[in-house]
Amino acid sequence: MKNQYRFDEKHQFLEKLENLIKDGVSSKKIITYTPYPVHEVEHILKVKASPLRFFTLIGALAGLLFGFLFTIWASLDWPIIRGGKPIVALPAFIIIAFELTVLFGGVISFIGYLLLSRLPDFSKIQNPEEYGNQFVIQIQDGETR
Amino acid sequence: MKPENMKELEYNSILEQDILDAMRKPHPIYWLALFICASFFVLGMITWVIQMLKGMGIAGINNPVGWGVYITDFVFWVGIAHSGTLISAVLFLFRAKFRNVFNRSAEAMTVFAVMTAGLFPLIHLGRSWLFYWLFPYPNQRQLWVNFQSPLVWDVFAVSTYFTISAIFWYVGMVPDLAIIRRFTSGIRKKIYSFFSLGWTGSLKQWRHYTRLYMFLAAFATPLVISVHSVVSWDFAMSIIPGWHTTIFAPYFVAGAIFSGTAMVLTLIIPMRKIFRMEKYITVDHFDKISKILLFTSLIVAYSYVVEFALAFYGGHKFEESHFLYRLLGDYRYLYWLMVLCNVILPFTLFVGKLRRNIPYLFVLSLFVNVGMWLERFVIIVSSLAKDFDPYNWGIYIPRWPEVFITLGSFGMFFTFFLIFTKVLPILSLTEIKEEAAE
Repeated sequence: MKNQYRFDEKHQFLEKLENLIKDGVSSKKIITYTPYPVHEVEHILKVKASPLRFFTLIGALAGLLFGFLFTIWASLDWPIIRGGKPIVALPAFIIIAFELTVLFGGVISFIGYLLLSRLPDFSKIQNPEEYGNQFVIQIQDGETR
Repeated sequence: MKPENMKELEYNSILEQDILDAMRKPHPIYWLALFICASFFVLGMITWVIQMLKGMGIAGINNPVGWGVYITDFVFWVGIAHSGTLISAVLFLFRAKFRNVFNRSAEAMTVFAVMTAGLFPLIHLGRSWLFYWLFPYPNQRQLWVNFQSPLVWDVFAVSTYFTISAIFWYVGMVPDLAIIRRFTSGIRKKIYSFFSLGWTGSLKQWRHYTRLYMFLAAFATPLVISVHSVVSWDFAMSIIPGWHTTIFAPYFVAGAIFSGTAMVLTLIIPMRKIFRMEKYITVDHFDKISKILLFTSLIVAYSYVVEFALAFYGGHKFEESHFLYRLLGDYRYLYWLMVLCNVILPFTLFVGKLRRNIPYLFVLSLFVNVGMWLERFVIIVSSLAKDFDPYNWGIYIPRWPEVFITLGSFGMFFTFFLIFTKVLPILSLTEIKEEAAE
């Protein structure tokens, strides 16, 4: 069975949330729904920092590495001198590597976000769950996180 | 802005209603505007087809001026895009709250402007169907593209820019699409539900979301600087007098943000009036954004002076004569008009009253748009018209294909923007709610 509290105002919602934690409700059983991001919730529930940063880091590093390896390998694949410059012209390749760092970093962060927040959620696309502009606290029997 | 005594819930539902009102059945004037813009778009596309069928000979570009209006348009539209990213990403990182009312439309502008810009290299190619030669793949002789060429950097920079801007725009919109979903029915509800990905606003979604938004902003910030730097290096990497200078990258980036901010004003001032957004987009917001316009105008003005100073102190005969040519030569009227539009008129924004005068800002933004287009034209054309060898000098005058395709590009951009105002929320609802709750 689910316990649900709905509030119209943010401060009432935060007070209730604090009280629930004080009363010993495990923060892992609580789900909150808010119309906009409320950072205080993360402090109250003592949520760990989002692991999304690892996706971003890995994506960015992969892009950087791929950018350099690809340009160097492709230049060596058919070594032809262009404009009297070295075949492996690193300063020029920095630009490609930089762009790919951003591209891979951004795209993989986005994919990581979808994985972490379990989106797209097809059952909820069919039947959307709406809370309007209310702040909602749900207490579940089992652990949610 | 939320009035002091208003309840949060009440404010939020009024906000939602106002945005939905903007998305209601359009007024006949909207259809007329859309029709006009779409006609220009079609005109431009037909001209492009004619140019492909008959060949590049029908355009005015030829030796020695091989880069003309098409490359001007490309640089212009990429530049327009930049201010959207500045507003949405850079001001986000700086916690400049006034961005919240501008960012959605500015990001939309970015995406549409990059799409428009992306067409111009293809139009300029002549044999547009061979555009894929630009991408890195080994050709039939197993040769790869030349990674030392600024034109290849451009391919990487512009395609990355488009991808990241589109992701950033979409991510920012997901919670708002979930709000729109609530008020629609039938097939529209299905579409909005699909694109809002089953959003509920749970803690799990929000906490990763805020991170993602920050990371994307952090990526977009250096990206926006790199993109216009790369575009400027298309010129600066060559040895043509007037192009071969180290100041080009910062000069172009500032110019891009300058022109883009002007375009934001051009788009948002009518939008605010038509959709009655005066409550949300206040005169204070315009005051702040016109300070960005003034600031970037100062950088651009400084760059104009430095360009001449470099030529003067450099002791390089060709540079010297080039800048005299730019100031007094065949294209002098365009240069003077450019200085008027980009320096003299924007400097009036030092007067606080004018920064808060919205009709004035609108007219000024049109002048800046013209001025920044002329800047690119002057830089590109005057340098090519008179380089080293007098035997190789010439004048370039655009012909009808350039004119129609340029008009078509404006038509395309405004068509997309008009459609955007009716199908997507024009203000970032969640961010305005968040700001109001503070």
